[in-house]
Amino acid sequence: MKMKLLIANRGEIALRIIRTCRKLGIRTVLVHSDPDRESLPVYYADERYPLGGSTPGETYLNIPKIIKAAVGTRCDAIHPGYGFLAEDASFVAACEENHLTFVGPPSEALEKLGNKLLARRTMHEAQVPIIPGSDGQLRDEDVAVEVAERIGYPVIIKAVYGGGGRGMRMARTSEEVRRFFRVTKLESASAFGRDVLYLEKQLIDPRHVEIQALADSRGKIVTLGERECSIQRRHQKLLEEAPSVALDEKLRERLCDAAKKGLAAARYVNAGTVEFLLDKSGRFYFLEVNKRLQVEHLVTELTTGIDLVEEQLKIASKEPLGMSQNDVHVNGWAINCRINAEDPKRGFSPSPGTVVRYHPATGPGIRVDSALYSGYTIPEFYDSMIAKLSSWGRNRDEAIRRMRIALDEMEIVGVPSTVALHMAIMNDDGFLQGNFDTSYLDHVLPRMNSALLEIERFAVAAGVASKMTLRSPPVQSQPSTSKSSWRSFARAKAVAQDWRAGW
Amino acid sequence: MRDYRAKVNGRVYSASVEEKASNHFRVELDGQVFEIELVGKNEVLDWSVRSGERAVRAQTRALQNDIVETWLAGVPFATAVQAVGLANYPVQTDRTVERRYGGEIRALMPGRVTSILVKETDYVEVGSPLLILEAMKMQNEISSPIVGRVKSIGIREGETVKKDALLMEIG
Repeated sequence: MKMKLLIANRGEIALRIIRTCRKLGIRTVLVHSDPDRESLPVYYADERYPLGGSTPGETYLNIPKIIKAAVGTRCDAIHPGYGFLAEDASFVAACEENHLTFVGPPSEALEKLGNKLLARRTMHEAQVPIIPGSDGQLRDEDVAVEVAERIGYPVIIKAVYGGGGRGMRMARTSEEVRRFFRVTKLESASAFGRDVLYLEKQLIDPRHVEIQALADSRGKIVTLGERECSIQRRHQKLLEEAPSVALDEKLRERLCDAAKKGLAAARYVNAGTVEFLLDKSGRFYFLEVNKRLQVEHLVTELTTGIDLVEEQLKIASKEPLGMSQNDVHVNGWAINCRINAEDPKRGFSPSPGTVVRYHPATGPGIRVDSALYSGYTIPEFYDSMIAKLSSWGRNRDEAIRRMRIALDEMEIVGVPSTVALHMAIMNDDGFLQGNFDTSYLDHVLPRMNSALLEIERFAVAAGVASKMTLRSPPVQSQPSTSKSSWRSFARAKAVAQDWRAGW
Repeated sequence: MRDYRAKVNGRVYSASVEEKASNHFRVELDGQVFEIELVGKNEVLDWSVRSGERAVRAQTRALQNDIVETWLAGVPFATAVQAVGLANYPVQTDRTVERRYGGEIRALMPGRVTSILVKETDYVEVGSPLLILEAMKMQNEISSPIVGRVKSIGIREGETVKKDALLMEIG
């Protein structure tokens, strides 16, 4: 596979893609915004290309700038990562016009599935069950209320072009439908560039289970098992695991079969995920297709041993899938905890800032995907997810035990994060017994306060001891050991730059 | 042995600390005993804290005045610590508490004001939506922590604000 790849993304996923490229000997160009100049993926890419500006609109969502960068640096292909332009049909069209290979599905499949209304129709025709909802887009608040009254509350208002858990809100009354219609419209316009909305019935406390698939350009599709993603806050996944305790072999087979049928109907190519909602009686409904590499793809990599980015690049180069369904084996259990820069003490409000100390967890069965380092300033312009902490075990119990240790080892000082929340989940009976659904966090979050109160006593005890220590004059530490790792990193970078400049 | 009073998140704790050996402390916090060891001194202090069956690691750093910030499980605890019997000035409260009683609405995070949902002289209740602040791609509805009339609005729609910027005054 000979190619030069432009990566149109940032943070941990840019780094993740670069790592596979380095493995395969593919040269990488990373475009970046001004605040991301000091980021790790920019450092590890073979070439850097500043886009100028800070906001997503000026940078990672700016199609003309990115195409110009790819053409100017003589790239053959573009990997969009997730979010930003990953599922933007007009971006794919722009790539095609400029003879650039888009690492993802073709624009027709994107359009068919990216418009959630069209996707529902496509799935319905392919005999994949869908949730009752509006047939077309909602013209205004009045129509929204009308449809909601017809199908019954609660309903969920969604941006037709939304995704990644954003651009949707649940409404229980006509007053809420009106209020959330306005908010979602704003959010949709800002996040996805278009403000078309629809609504569908909100199932009561379903589970969220999704099937990862790979489809090559010859129409061959294999599924790589499921991911359980029921643990969500505000429709944003927080913790994922593979496999799911909710599926038996029979149900798993039916879900995989439905996923294959749906993807085939959409003439889907590349890595894709079909999301389903599962109700208490074991019925399942199509939710949406994620037409990209997903945040949580790593749990599938841990259980199948397949490098999903490598498969994406091969499929994009028109290579046939090198595996058949019988070659795919799900081995053991994997859990992923999303570590977000959000303050659990302040209702999980985003908390950008400077990381004073970062020490990632390591050890047997542990994988951390993150672009953090000590001294890094998390910009306010982008997503709040700063690390993905995953564990693998021969069974669920071992994966959980390893995750507990990893959460304890993970140190992020200077920026509040969701580590404590994951610790609470890893010790919660509901989670341990596999007894949870999408309403799980609503039950756990109130208990979070007592967990925080317990932690607070430990924190105060350390604070008081620290006060006593600080009264005495500080011990003069050796200059060589007092250097922070941030300074070492800056030094390493400066050395690297000098080296390049000198040669 | 030394006695301290510590205030964090509006709660007050009484603590007595004993330095058992170099870098080893025994802290009694309202009856609960903690065995604490200083394990590292770098840009922050590293601690191992044990009480009963549970052992955690924590990092501390000194902020201004008497405030020590402890980081534990990714959560910061800004604690005002005062030796008992030395001085009698009031323990500085943390900013969350001040905001609740001050009548000012400040930005909890940097971001962009996408819409203002009230106007001056409007009466607001606790929980009334005041504005929508977009940060990290999320639309955050900022609701009022206090009851009163909107006295002044210091921002415009579309404006970008820094953390702690004054958004509104309610009186």
